[in-house]
Amino acid sequence: MMRILLFAGLWLVLTEADPGAMPVGALAALAAAWTSKHLLPPQPGRLRLMALLRFTWHFLKLSVYSGIDVAYRALHPRLPLDPALVGVRVTLPPGMARTTLASELSLLPGTLAVSQDGDEVVLHCLDQTQPIEQQVSTEGTLITSILGDGPDAGGTRHV
Amino acid sequence: MTAALDAITVVFVLAGCFFFLAGNVGLLRFPDTLTRLHALTKADNLGLGLVVIGLMPRMDHPLSALKLLLVWALGMLAAATVGQLIARSVLRRGLPIWKGPQ
Repeated sequence: MMRILLFAGLWLVLTEADPGAMPVGALAALAAAWTSKHLLPPQPGRLRLMALLRFTWHFLKLSVYSGIDVAYRALHPRLPLDPALVGVRVTLPPGMARTTLASELSLLPGTLAVSQDGDEVVLHCLDQTQPIEQQVSTEGTLITSILGDGPDAGGTRHV
Repeated sequence: MTAALDAITVVFVLAGCFFFLAGNVGLLRFPDTLTRLHALTKADNLGLGLVVIGLMPRMDHPLSALKLLLVWALGMLAAATVGQLIARSVLRRGLPIWKGPQ
């Protein structure tokens, strides 16, 4: 199973391939794969590697922008903040895809996922004048391209 | 070659420290829990990433360098998850949310 290999690989990286640690690692990889299968059952659709690589690059670029944005606001003498809670409708299926979107948005410029309520993800925004809805829909489309199908559109509502 | 690697390390680690500093300034200056979470999840992640990039050429073994990347990835995963949990508990407990200077 893929997950056993994945966890075994992680173990090798963590222990820097210490031969003495391998028996424990084999057990740990089996246990981790078993746990993950129960906590996160396999879902239909397959991971698209190229899309994942494109997404990683896009994510890294935005992370840099995100860090600079927060650093600027924190260090600016007048503390330029205009925060608000905003509900954004997403059409990504609940579960893996939507959780990925929420977690990712928490790391992107100016947005922090606060809760999920039906088809709405409630975001806390540092600056409500930014095009939040558009950003959510862009990220949703990207995640869809990695995980599987389903269009993403959204609507914004101030909470 | 070594000088170039040293320069990369110095530049990236210093840049990383700058973002850690900015993140912590945000933690102190931002007005409420939710805005402080922004500072911690974003600036510190970038800081950690830059420190990791700066330290990777220092490692003797490629696996050690991979381990640093793994630390970064787990750090981001933890920040994204814990950030959402804390934000949710702010809403549930009805803690004050800053809505701008009145």
